Amino acid sequence: MKTRKLIALLLTLVMLTAVFSACATKTDTDTPGASPNESVTGGDNTGADADTDADSNTGASNAAADAIRAAGVLKIGCKEDVPNFGLLNTATNEYEGFEIELAKLIANDIFGDPAKVRFQAVTAKTRGPLLDNGDVDMVIATFTITEERKLSYNFSDPYYQDAVGMLVRRDSGIESIADCDGKTIGVAQSATSKDAIQAAADAAGVSVTFNEYGTYPEIQAALNSGNVDVFCVDRSILRGYLSDDLVLTEDKFSPQDYGVTTKFENKELADYVNGLINGWLDDGTIAALVEQFGL
Amino acid sequence: MSRAPFALWRWERLWNDKAVIFNGFVTTLLVSLLALALAMAIGIVFGMLGTSEKKPLRAVNRVYVEFFQNIPLLVQVFFIYNAFPLLGFRWPVFTIGVVGVGIYHGAYVAEVIRAGIRSIPKGQGDAARSQGFGYIQTMAYVILPQTIKIILPPLTNQAVNLIKNTSVLATLSGLDLMYRADSWASQGTLSYGPAYVAAGALYFLICFPLATWARRYERRIKEREHLQLSEAAAEEMMLMAEEML
Repeated sequence: MKTRKLIALLLTLVMLTAVFSACATKTDTDTPGASPNESVTGGDNTGADADTDADSNTGASNAAADAIRAAGVLKIGCKEDVPNFGLLNTATNEYEGFEIELAKLIANDIFGDPAKVRFQAVTAKTRGPLLDNGDVDMVIATFTITEERKLSYNFSDPYYQDAVGMLVRRDSGIESIADCDGKTIGVAQSATSKDAIQAAADAAGVSVTFNEYGTYPEIQAALNSGNVDVFCVDRSILRGYLSDDLVLTEDKFSPQDYGVTTKFENKELADYVNGLINGWLDDGTIAALVEQFGL
Repeated sequence: MSRAPFALWRWERLWNDKAVIFNGFVTTLLVSLLALALAMAIGIVFGMLGTSEKKPLRAVNRVYVEFFQNIPLLVQVFFIYNAFPLLGFRWPVFTIGVVGVGIYHGAYVAEVIRAGIRSIPKGQGDAARSQGFGYIQTMAYVILPQTIKIILPPLTNQAVNLIKNTSVLATLSGLDLMYRADSWASQGTLSYGPAYVAAGALYFLICFPLATWARRYERRIKEREHLQLSEAAAEEMMLMAEEML
Protein backbone atom coordinates (compact mmCIF):
# COMPACT_ATOMS: atom_id res chain seq x y z
CA MET A 1 0.00 0.00 0.00
CA LYS A 2 2.70 2.40 1.12
CA THR A 3 4.88 1.71 -1.90
CA ARG A 4 2.01 2.16 -4.31
CA LYS A 5 1.29 5.56 -2.83
CA LEU A 6 4.94 6.46 -3.18
CA ILE A 7 4.94 5.38 -6.82
CA ALA A 8 1.86 7.48 -7.50
CA LEU A 9 3.49 10.50 -5.93
CA LEU A 10 6.67 9.95 -7.91
CA LEU A 11 4.71 9.64 -11.14
CA THR A 12 2.97 12.93 -10.43
CA LEU A 13 6.30 14.59 -9.81
CA VAL A 14 7.78 13.15 -12.98
CA MET A 15 4.84 14.45 -14.99
CA LEU A 16 5.17 17.90 -13.49
CA THR A 17 8.90 17.93 -14.13
CA ALA A 18 8.26 16.91 -17.71
CA VAL A 19 5.86 19.81 -18.17
CA PHE A 20 8.30 22.28 -16.71
CA SER A 21 11.34 20.97 -18.53
CA ALA A 22 9.37 21.12 -21.77
CA CYS A 23 8.90 24.79 -21.05
CA ALA A 24 12.55 25.16 -20.15
CA THR A 25 13.64 23.48 -23.37
CA LYS A 26 11.50 25.91 -25.29
CA THR A 27 13.25 28.77 -23.53
CA ASP A 28 16.63 27.32 -24.39
CA THR A 29 15.89 26.87 -28.05
CA ASP A 30 14.28 30.26 -28.35
CA THR A 31 17.06 32.19 -26.75
CA PRO A 32 19.95 31.40 -29.10
CA GLY A 33 17.62 32.11 -32.01
CA ALA A 34 16.81 35.49 -30.56
CA SER A 35 20.31 36.76 -29.92
CA PRO A 36 22.09 36.42 -33.28
CA ASN A 37 19.57 38.03 -35.54
CA GLU A 38 20.78 36.62 -38.82
CA SER A 39 20.34 33.00 -37.80
CA VAL A 40 16.64 33.33 -37.03
CA THR A 41 15.42 31.83 -40.26
CA GLY A 42 18.20 29.23 -40.09
CA GLY A 43 18.88 27.09 -43.14
CA ASP A 44 16.52 29.04 -45.37
CA ASN A 45 18.71 32.04 -45.05
CA THR A 46 21.22 31.34 -47.83
CA GLY A 47 18.53 30.58 -50.34
CA ALA A 48 16.61 33.64 -49.27
CA ASP A 49 19.63 35.87 -49.78
CA ALA A 50 20.02 34.61 -53.31
CA ASP A 51 16.37 35.36 -53.93
CA THR A 52 16.81 38.87 -52.65
CA ASP A 53 19.32 39.56 -55.38
CA ALA A 54 17.25 37.87 -58.03
CA ASP A 55 13.83 39.44 -57.71
CA SER A 56 14.43 42.95 -56.56
CA ASN A 57 11.30 44.09 -58.42
CA THR A 58 9.35 44.44 -55.17
CA GLY A 59 11.99 46.80 -53.89
CA ALA A 60 11.81 45.86 -50.22
CA SER A 61 12.42 42.13 -50.52
CA ASN A 62 14.23 40.36 -47.72
CA ALA A 63 14.40 36.95 -46.09
CA ALA A 64 11.41 37.58 -43.84
CA ALA A 65 9.22 38.70 -46.75
CA ASP A 66 10.44 35.71 -48.75
CA ALA A 67 9.40 33.35 -45.98
CA ILE A 68 5.88 34.76 -46.14
CA ARG A 69 5.94 34.60 -49.94
CA ALA A 70 6.91 30.95 -49.69
CA ALA A 71 3.93 30.34 -47.38
CA GLY A 72 1.71 31.81 -50.13
CA VAL A 73 -0.37 34.04 -47.89
CA LEU A 74 0.13 36.83 -45.37
CA LYS A 75 -1.55 35.99 -42.08
CA ILE A 76 -2.82 39.09 -40.31
CA GLY A 77 -4.41 39.42 -36.92
CA CYS A 78 -7.00 42.22 -37.08
CA LYS A 79 -9.95 43.55 -35.14
CA GLU A 80 -13.40 42.45 -36.28
CA ASP A 81 -15.45 44.78 -34.11
CA VAL A 82 -13.84 48.20 -34.47
CA PRO A 83 -15.56 50.35 -37.11
CA ASN A 84 -13.20 52.18 -39.46
CA PHE A 85 -10.19 50.17 -38.21
CA GLY A 86 -11.08 46.53 -38.55
CA LEU A 87 -14.69 45.48 -38.89
CA LEU A 88 -16.17 42.29 -40.24
CA ASN A 89 -18.98 43.25 -42.58
CA THR A 90 -21.46 40.50 -41.85
CA ALA A 91 -23.32 41.13 -45.11
CA THR A 92 -20.30 40.44 -47.31
CA ASN A 93 -18.18 38.48 -44.79
CA GLU A 94 -15.27 40.80 -45.69
CA TYR A 95 -13.10 42.77 -43.32
CA GLU A 96 -13.13 46.54 -43.77
CA GLY A 97 -11.23 49.49 -42.34
CA PHE A 98 -8.02 51.47 -42.13
CA GLU A 99 -5.95 48.62 -40.67
CA ILE A 100 -7.39 46.17 -43.20
CA GLU A 101 -6.21 48.46 -46.03
CA LEU A 102 -2.79 48.63 -44.38
CA ALA A 103 -2.62 44.84 -44.36
CA LYS A 104 -3.58 44.72 -48.04
CA LEU A 105 -0.83 47.22 -48.84
CA ILE A 106 1.72 44.99 -47.13
CA ALA A 107 0.41 41.95 -49.02
CA ASN A 108 0.70 43.93 -52.23
CA ASP A 109 4.32 44.67 -51.44
CA ILE A 110 5.12 41.02 -50.71
CA PHE A 111 3.08 39.28 -53.40
CA GLY A 112 2.20 42.08 -55.80
CA ASP A 113 -1.38 41.10 -54.95
CA PRO A 114 -3.38 42.83 -52.19
CA ALA A 115 -5.77 39.89 -51.99
CA LYS A 116 -3.22 37.46 -50.60
CA VAL A 117 -4.06 38.18 -47.00
CA ARG A 118 -5.74 35.83 -44.59
CA PHE A 119 -7.35 37.80 -41.80
CA GLN A 120 -7.89 36.35 -38.39
CA ALA A 121 -9.93 38.25 -35.83
CA VAL A 122 -8.05 38.92 -32.60
CA THR A 123 -8.88 40.63 -29.32
CA ALA A 124 -6.62 42.60 -27.03
CA LYS A 125 -6.34 39.35 -25.15
CA THR A 126 -5.58 36.89 -27.91
CA ARG A 127 -3.33 38.89 -30.22
CA GLY A 128 -0.15 38.28 -28.18
CA PRO A 129 -0.52 34.49 -27.94
CA LEU A 130 -1.50 34.24 -31.62
CA LEU A 131 1.70 36.03 -32.61
CA ASP A 132 3.79 33.84 -30.32
CA ASN A 133 2.42 30.58 -31.61
CA GLY A 134 2.74 31.62 -35.26
CA ASP A 135 -0.96 31.67 -36.13
CA VAL A 136 -0.48 35.16 -37.50
CA ASP A 137 2.58 36.83 -39.08
CA MET A 138 1.62 40.30 -37.96
CA VAL A 139 -0.96 41.96 -35.80
CA ILE A 140 -2.51 45.19 -37.04
CA ALA A 141 -5.24 45.59 -34.44
CA THR A 142 -5.17 48.93 -32.61
CA PHE A 143 -2.15 47.52 -30.76
CA THR A 144 -0.72 50.30 -28.58
CA ILE A 145 3.06 50.54 -28.40
CA THR A 146 4.39 50.44 -24.82
CA GLU A 147 7.86 49.98 -23.40
CA GLU A 148 6.76 46.89 -21.49
CA ARG A 149 5.21 45.29 -24.55
CA LYS A 150 8.43 45.90 -26.46
CA LEU A 151 9.95 43.30 -24.12
CA SER A 152 7.73 40.69 -25.73
CA TYR A 153 7.04 41.86 -29.29
CA ASN A 154 8.42 44.02 -32.10
CA PHE A 155 6.48 47.16 -32.95
CA SER A 156 6.78 49.26 -36.09
CA ASP A 157 6.84 53.02 -35.84
CA PRO A 158 3.34 54.35 -35.08
CA TYR A 159 0.89 54.58 -37.97
CA TYR A 160 -1.86 56.22 -35.93
CA GLN A 161 -2.35 57.99 -32.63
CA ASP A 162 -5.48 57.66 -30.52
CA ALA A 163 -6.58 58.53 -26.98
CA VAL A 164 -8.53 56.60 -24.36
CA GLY A 165 -12.11 57.83 -23.94
CA MET A 166 -15.16 57.14 -21.79
CA LEU A 167 -18.48 55.70 -22.95
CA VAL A 168 -21.32 56.14 -20.45
CA ARG A 169 -25.08 55.61 -20.24
CA ARG A 170 -26.86 58.77 -21.29
CA ASP A 171 -28.94 58.79 -18.09
CA SER A 172 -25.94 58.28 -15.80
CA GLY A 173 -25.13 61.98 -15.61
CA ILE A 174 -21.41 61.30 -15.96
CA GLU A 175 -19.77 64.04 -18.02
CA SER A 176 -16.13 63.58 -17.17
CA ILE A 177 -13.75 61.57 -15.01
CA ALA A 178 -14.45 64.03 -12.16
CA ASP A 179 -17.99 62.57 -11.89
CA CYS A 180 -16.66 59.04 -11.49
CA ASP A 181 -15.96 58.89 -7.76
CA GLY A 182 -16.87 55.43 -6.49
CA LYS A 183 -17.82 54.25 -9.97
CA THR A 184 -16.85 50.99 -11.63
CA ILE A 185 -14.94 51.20 -14.89
CA GLY A 186 -15.09 48.41 -17.44
CA VAL A 187 -11.86 47.87 -19.33
CA ALA A 188 -10.57 45.22 -21.72
CA GLN A 189 -7.96 42.80 -20.49
CA SER A 190 -4.58 43.42 -22.09
CA ALA A 191 -5.53 46.98 -23.00
CA THR A 192 -3.60 50.02 -21.75
CA SER A 193 -6.82 51.85 -20.78
CA LYS A 194 -6.67 50.77 -17.13
CA ASP A 195 -3.38 52.59 -16.49
CA ALA A 196 -4.56 55.64 -18.42
CA ILE A 197 -7.82 55.94 -16.47
CA GLN A 198 -6.14 55.25 -13.15
CA ALA A 199 -3.72 58.10 -13.81
CA ALA A 200 -6.57 60.44 -14.85
CA ALA A 201 -8.64 59.45 -11.80
CA ASP A 202 -5.68 60.11 -9.51
CA ALA A 203 -5.18 63.50 -11.12
CA ALA A 204 -8.87 64.34 -10.68
CA GLY A 205 -8.80 63.12 -7.07
CA VAL A 206 -11.50 60.46 -7.53
CA SER A 207 -11.32 56.77 -6.69
CA VAL A 208 -12.55 54.18 -9.15
CA THR A 209 -12.58 50.39 -9.33
CA PHE A 210 -11.96 48.31 -12.43
CA ASN A 211 -13.70 45.30 -13.91
CA GLU A 212 -11.76 43.58 -16.66
CA TYR A 213 -13.39 41.67 -19.52
CA GLY A 214 -12.10 39.60 -22.39
CA THR A 215 -14.00 41.28 -25.22
CA TYR A 216 -15.62 44.65 -25.95
CA PRO A 217 -19.16 43.29 -26.37
CA GLU A 218 -18.91 41.90 -22.83
CA ILE A 219 -18.06 45.37 -21.52
CA GLN A 220 -20.94 46.83 -23.49
CA ALA A 221 -23.30 44.28 -21.94
CA ALA A 222 -21.91 45.09 -18.49
CA LEU A 223 -22.44 48.80 -19.18
CA ASN A 224 -26.01 48.27 -20.35
CA SER A 225 -26.86 46.08 -17.36
CA GLY A 226 -25.25 48.51 -14.95
CA ASN A 227 -22.52 46.17 -13.77
CA VAL A 228 -20.08 48.91 -14.80
CA ASP A 229 -20.70 52.66 -15.05
CA VAL A 230 -18.14 53.53 -17.67
CA PHE A 231 -16.68 51.66 -20.65
CA CYS A 232 -13.14 52.82 -21.22
CA VAL A 233 -10.98 52.01 -24.18
CA ASP A 234 -9.52 53.84 -27.17
CA ARG A 235 -11.95 56.39 -28.58
CA SER A 236 -11.79 54.93 -32.07
CA ILE A 237 -13.06 51.66 -30.65
CA LEU A 238 -15.73 53.30 -28.47
CA ARG A 239 -17.18 55.09 -31.50
CA GLY A 240 -18.33 51.68 -32.69
CA TYR A 241 -20.54 51.31 -29.62
CA LEU A 242 -22.39 54.62 -29.71
CA SER A 243 -26.16 54.19 -29.50
CA ASP A 244 -29.27 56.01 -28.35
CA ASP A 245 -28.48 55.08 -24.75
CA LEU A 246 -24.71 55.35 -24.78
CA VAL A 247 -22.70 58.54 -25.24
CA LEU A 248 -19.00 59.37 -25.47
CA THR A 249 -17.71 62.02 -23.05
CA GLU A 250 -15.22 64.67 -24.10
CA ASP A 251 -12.38 63.11 -22.06
CA LYS A 252 -9.20 62.17 -23.87
CA PHE A 253 -6.54 60.37 -21.84
CA SER A 254 -3.00 59.28 -22.62
CA PRO A 255 -2.73 59.64 -26.36
CA GLN A 256 -1.20 56.41 -27.56
CA ASP A 257 0.46 55.09 -30.66
CA TYR A 258 -0.64 52.09 -32.69
CA GLY A 259 2.07 49.99 -34.30
CA VAL A 260 2.23 46.92 -36.53
CA THR A 261 3.30 44.08 -34.27
CA THR A 262 5.48 41.12 -35.15
CA LYS A 263 7.01 38.19 -33.30
CA PHE A 264 9.96 39.25 -31.18
CA GLU A 265 12.40 36.72 -32.63
CA ASN A 266 11.77 37.83 -36.20
CA LYS A 267 13.79 41.06 -36.35
CA GLU A 268 14.01 40.97 -40.14
CA LEU A 269 10.25 41.02 -40.55
CA ALA A 270 10.03 43.90 -38.09
CA ASP A 271 12.60 45.90 -40.01
CA TYR A 272 10.86 45.14 -43.28
CA VAL A 273 7.44 46.25 -41.98
CA ASN A 274 8.88 49.32 -40.37
CA GLY A 275 10.44 50.33 -43.68
CA LEU A 276 7.05 50.00 -45.39
CA ILE A 277 5.21 52.01 -42.73
CA ASN A 278 7.75 54.81 -42.81
CA GLY A 279 7.58 54.91 -46.58
CA TRP A 280 3.77 55.26 -46.47
CA LEU A 281 3.98 57.89 -43.75
CA ASP A 282 6.38 59.90 -45.92
CA ASP A 283 4.50 59.64 -49.22
CA GLY A 284 1.08 60.42 -47.72
CA THR A 285 -0.44 56.97 -48.30
CA ILE A 286 -1.35 56.59 -44.63
CA ALA A 287 -2.63 60.18 -44.37
CA ALA A 288 -4.93 59.46 -47.33
CA LEU A 289 -6.26 56.30 -45.64
CA VAL A 290 -6.87 58.16 -42.39
CA GLU A 291 -8.89 60.70 -44.35
CA GLN A 292 -10.71 58.01 -46.31
CA PHE A 293 -12.00 56.39 -43.11
CA GLY A 294 -12.77 59.70 -41.44
CA LEU A 295 -10.43 59.10 -38.50
CA MET B 1 16.74 39.24 -21.04
CA SER B 2 15.11 36.36 -22.85
CA ARG B 3 11.80 36.95 -24.60
CA ALA B 4 10.66 33.38 -24.33
CA PRO B 5 7.14 32.93 -22.95
CA PHE B 6 8.47 31.00 -19.92
CA ALA B 7 11.64 33.06 -19.37
CA LEU B 8 12.89 33.17 -15.79
CA TRP B 9 12.30 36.90 -15.36
CA ARG B 10 8.63 36.41 -16.07
CA TRP B 11 8.45 33.95 -13.14
CA GLU B 12 10.24 36.50 -10.98
CA ARG B 13 7.66 39.16 -11.85
CA LEU B 14 4.91 36.71 -11.01
CA TRP B 15 6.58 35.95 -7.67
CA ASN B 16 6.81 39.66 -6.86
CA ASP B 17 3.09 40.03 -7.55
CA LYS B 18 2.12 36.82 -5.76
CA ALA B 19 -0.26 38.71 -3.43
CA VAL B 20 -2.53 39.37 -6.43
CA ILE B 21 -2.73 35.68 -7.29
CA PHE B 22 -3.15 34.74 -3.62
CA ASN B 23 -6.14 37.11 -3.33
CA GLY B 24 -7.75 35.26 -6.18
CA PHE B 25 -6.94 31.93 -4.56
CA VAL B 26 -8.73 32.98 -1.36
CA THR B 27 -11.78 34.17 -3.31
CA THR B 28 -11.92 30.90 -5.23
CA LEU B 29 -11.69 28.93 -1.96
CA LEU B 30 -14.51 30.94 -0.36
CA VAL B 31 -16.79 30.72 -3.38
CA SER B 32 -16.07 26.99 -3.63
CA LEU B 33 -16.86 26.30 0.04
CA LEU B 34 -20.11 28.27 0.07
CA ALA B 35 -21.21 26.92 -3.31
CA LEU B 36 -20.44 23.39 -2.15
CA ALA B 37 -22.53 23.87 1.01
CA LEU B 38 -25.40 25.20 -1.11
CA ALA B 39 -25.06 22.37 -3.64
CA MET B 40 -25.14 19.77 -0.83
CA ALA B 41 -28.20 21.34 0.77
CA ILE B 42 -30.03 21.53 -2.57
CA GLY B 43 -28.82 18.07 -3.50
CA ILE B 44 -30.08 16.42 -0.32
CA VAL B 45 -33.49 18.06 -0.55
CA PHE B 46 -34.00 17.40 -4.26
CA GLY B 47 -32.42 13.94 -3.99
CA MET B 48 -35.01 13.05 -1.36
CA LEU B 49 -37.77 14.53 -3.50
CA GLY B 50 -36.57 12.30 -6.32
CA THR B 51 -37.14 9.16 -4.25
CA SER B 52 -40.49 10.28 -2.88
CA GLU B 53 -43.52 8.09 -3.36
CA LYS B 54 -45.58 11.12 -4.34
CA LYS B 55 -45.47 11.75 -8.06
CA PRO B 56 -45.66 15.59 -7.97
CA LEU B 57 -42.60 15.68 -5.70
CA ARG B 58 -40.68 13.42 -8.08
CA ALA B 59 -41.74 15.75 -10.89
CA VAL B 60 -40.30 18.76 -9.04
CA ASN B 61 -37.01 16.90 -8.76
CA ARG B 62 -37.03 16.00 -12.46
CA VAL B 63 -37.74 19.56 -13.61
CA TYR B 64 -35.04 21.02 -11.40
CA VAL B 65 -32.42 18.48 -12.33
CA GLU B 66 -33.12 18.51 -16.07
CA PHE B 67 -33.26 22.31 -16.22
CA PHE B 68 -29.96 22.97 -14.52
CA GLN B 69 -28.10 19.98 -15.94
CA ASN B 70 -28.95 20.71 -19.55
CA ILE B 71 -28.10 24.39 -19.78
CA PRO B 72 -24.41 25.32 -19.75
CA LEU B 73 -23.19 26.89 -16.53
CA LEU B 74 -21.69 29.75 -18.54
CA VAL B 75 -25.11 30.62 -19.98
CA GLN B 76 -26.68 30.51 -16.52
CA VAL B 77 -24.16 32.85 -14.91
CA PHE B 78 -24.18 35.24 -17.88
CA PHE B 79 -27.93 35.34 -17.57
CA ILE B 80 -27.74 36.19 -13.88
CA TYR B 81 -25.01 38.75 -14.53
CA ASN B 82 -26.37 40.59 -17.56
CA ALA B 83 -30.09 39.82 -17.75
CA PHE B 84 -31.12 39.84 -14.07
CA PRO B 85 -30.16 43.54 -13.69
CA LEU B 86 -32.55 44.40 -16.51
CA LEU B 87 -35.29 42.75 -14.44
CA GLY B 88 -34.28 44.75 -11.41
CA PHE B 89 -31.95 42.36 -9.56
CA ARG B 90 -28.25 43.05 -9.48
CA TRP B 91 -26.10 40.71 -7.41
CA PRO B 92 -22.45 41.07 -6.52
CA VAL B 93 -20.31 38.73 -8.61
CA PHE B 94 -19.33 36.79 -5.48
CA THR B 95 -23.02 35.99 -4.86
CA ILE B 96 -23.50 35.04 -8.50
CA GLY B 97 -20.59 32.63 -8.11
CA VAL B 98 -21.96 30.97 -4.97
CA VAL B 99 -25.58 30.81 -6.15
CA GLY B 100 -24.88 30.10 -9.84
CA VAL B 101 -22.35 27.34 -9.25
CA GLY B 102 -24.26 26.08 -6.18
CA ILE B 103 -27.62 25.54 -7.90
CA TYR B 104 -25.95 24.11 -11.00
CA HIS B 105 -24.02 21.48 -9.07
CA GLY B 106 -26.97 21.04 -6.71
CA ALA B 107 -28.73 19.34 -9.63
CA TYR B 108 -25.87 16.87 -10.06
CA VAL B 109 -25.59 16.25 -6.32
CA ALA B 110 -29.36 15.58 -6.24
CA GLU B 111 -28.89 12.83 -8.82
CA VAL B 112 -26.03 11.33 -6.86
CA ILE B 113 -28.08 11.29 -3.67
CA ARG B 114 -31.17 9.96 -5.39
CA ALA B 115 -29.11 7.06 -6.74
CA GLY B 116 -27.60 6.53 -3.28
CA ILE B 117 -30.99 6.33 -1.59
CA ARG B 118 -32.31 4.00 -4.29
CA SER B 119 -29.39 1.64 -3.67
CA ILE B 120 -30.47 1.03 -0.04
CA PRO B 121 -32.88 -1.93 0.15
CA LYS B 122 -36.45 -0.82 0.62
CA GLY B 123 -36.80 -3.06 3.67
CA GLN B 124 -34.51 -0.73 5.60
CA GLY B 125 -36.99 2.09 5.35
CA ASP B 126 -39.94 -0.19 6.14
CA ALA B 127 -38.12 -1.48 9.21
CA ALA B 128 -37.41 2.05 10.41
CA ARG B 129 -41.04 3.06 9.89
CA SER B 130 -42.22 0.02 11.81
CA GLN B 131 -40.15 1.23 14.76
CA GLY B 132 -41.99 4.55 14.65
CA PHE B 133 -39.44 6.64 12.73
CA GLY B 134 -40.89 9.47 10.67
CA TYR B 135 -39.77 10.16 7.07
CA ILE B 136 -37.10 12.70 8.01
CA GLN B 137 -35.82 10.53 10.88
CA THR B 138 -35.71 7.47 8.63
CA MET B 139 -33.66 9.42 6.13
CA ALA B 140 -31.37 11.09 8.65
CA TYR B 141 -30.67 8.08 10.91
CA VAL B 142 -31.11 5.04 8.71
CA ILE B 143 -30.94 5.67 4.97
CA LEU B 144 -28.56 8.58 4.36
CA PRO B 145 -25.73 7.33 6.65
CA GLN B 146 -25.72 4.05 4.75
CA THR B 147 -25.44 5.82 1.39
CA ILE B 148 -22.22 7.61 2.27
CA LYS B 149 -19.81 4.96 1.06
CA ILE B 150 -21.82 4.58 -2.15
CA ILE B 151 -22.15 8.25 -2.99
CA LEU B 152 -18.75 9.44 -1.80
CA PRO B 153 -16.83 8.79 -5.03
CA PRO B 154 -19.36 10.52 -7.34
CA LEU B 155 -19.85 13.25 -4.75
CA THR B 156 -16.14 13.96 -4.69
CA ASN B 157 -16.20 14.18 -8.46
CA GLN B 158 -18.90 16.79 -8.12
CA ALA B 159 -16.97 18.75 -5.50
CA VAL B 160 -13.84 18.78 -7.65
CA ASN B 161 -15.84 19.81 -10.72
CA LEU B 162 -17.53 22.51 -8.68
CA ILE B 163 -14.21 23.97 -7.60
CA LYS B 164 -12.92 23.97 -11.16
CA ASN B 165 -16.18 25.46 -12.44
CA THR B 166 -15.89 28.49 -10.15
CA SER B 167 -13.43 29.68 -12.79
CA VAL B 168 -16.42 30.82 -14.90
CA LEU B 169 -16.32 33.87 -12.64
CA ALA B 170 -13.22 34.98 -14.53
CA THR B 171 -15.51 35.92 -17.43
CA LEU B 172 -17.60 38.12 -15.12
CA SER B 173 -14.66 39.99 -13.69
CA GLY B 174 -15.15 37.90 -10.55
CA LEU B 175 -11.80 38.49 -8.80
CA ASP B 176 -11.30 34.72 -8.49
CA LEU B 177 -8.06 32.83 -9.08
CA MET B 178 -8.43 32.52 -12.86
CA TYR B 179 -9.46 36.17 -13.20
CA ARG B 180 -6.51 37.37 -11.15
CA ALA B 181 -4.07 35.21 -13.08
CA ASP B 182 -5.56 36.25 -16.40
CA SER B 183 -5.65 39.90 -15.45
CA TRP B 184 -2.09 39.83 -14.18
CA ALA B 185 -0.93 38.04 -17.33
CA SER B 186 -2.58 40.50 -19.65
CA GLN B 187 -1.00 43.55 -18.08
CA GLY B 188 2.27 44.96 -19.29
CA THR B 189 4.61 42.18 -20.32
CA LEU B 190 1.91 39.65 -21.25
CA SER B 191 3.55 36.85 -19.24
CA TYR B 192 0.59 34.54 -19.62
CA GLY B 193 2.66 31.34 -19.55
CA PRO B 194 3.74 31.46 -15.89
CA ALA B 195 0.39 32.94 -14.83
CA TYR B 196 -1.64 30.02 -16.19
CA VAL B 197 0.81 27.45 -14.84
CA ALA B 198 0.53 29.06 -11.39
CA ALA B 199 -3.28 29.18 -11.56
CA GLY B 200 -3.42 25.54 -12.69
CA ALA B 201 -1.09 24.49 -9.88
CA LEU B 202 -3.23 26.27 -7.29
CA TYR B 203 -6.47 24.66 -8.52
CA PHE B 204 -4.62 21.34 -8.42
CA LEU B 205 -3.56 22.12 -4.87
CA ILE B 206 -7.22 22.34 -3.80
CA CYS B 207 -8.67 19.52 -5.89
CA PHE B 208 -6.04 16.81 -5.63
CA PRO B 209 -6.00 16.54 -1.80
CA LEU B 210 -9.79 16.50 -1.78
CA ALA B 211 -9.95 13.64 -4.27
CA THR B 212 -7.21 11.79 -2.41
CA TRP B 213 -8.92 12.23 0.94
CA ALA B 214 -12.21 10.92 -0.42
CA ARG B 215 -10.50 7.89 -1.92
CA ARG B 216 -8.85 7.08 1.40
CA TYR B 217 -12.05 7.64 3.35
CA GLU B 218 -13.97 5.35 1.06
CA ARG B 219 -11.31 2.67 1.40
CA ARG B 220 -11.33 3.01 5.18
CA ILE B 221 -15.09 2.59 5.36
CA LYS B 222 -14.95 -0.50 3.19
CA GLU B 223 -12.08 -1.97 5.18
CA ARG B 224 -13.90 -1.35 8.44
CA GLU B 225 -16.99 -3.05 7.12
CA HIS B 226 -14.96 -5.95 5.86
CA LEU B 227 -13.36 -6.23 9.29
CA GLN B 228 -16.72 -6.17 11.04
CA LEU B 229 -18.01 -8.85 8.71
CA SER B 230 -15.04 -11.12 9.23
CA GLU B 231 -15.20 -10.57 13.00
CA ALA B 232 -18.85 -11.54 12.95
CA ALA B 233 -18.04 -14.59 10.88
CA ALA B 234 -15.25 -15.59 13.23
CA GLU B 235 -17.56 -15.22 16.22
CA GLU B 236 -20.16 -17.38 14.58
CA MET B 237 -17.62 -20.07 13.83
CA MET B 238 -16.50 -20.03 17.45
CA LEU B 239 -20.09 -20.47 18.58
CA MET B 240 -20.58 -23.30 16.13
CA ALA B 241 -17.38 -24.92 17.33
CA GLU B 242 -18.50 -24.63 20.96
CA GLU B 243 -21.85 -26.20 20.13
CA MET B 244 -20.18 -29.06 18.37
CA LEU B 245 -18.01 -29.73 21.39
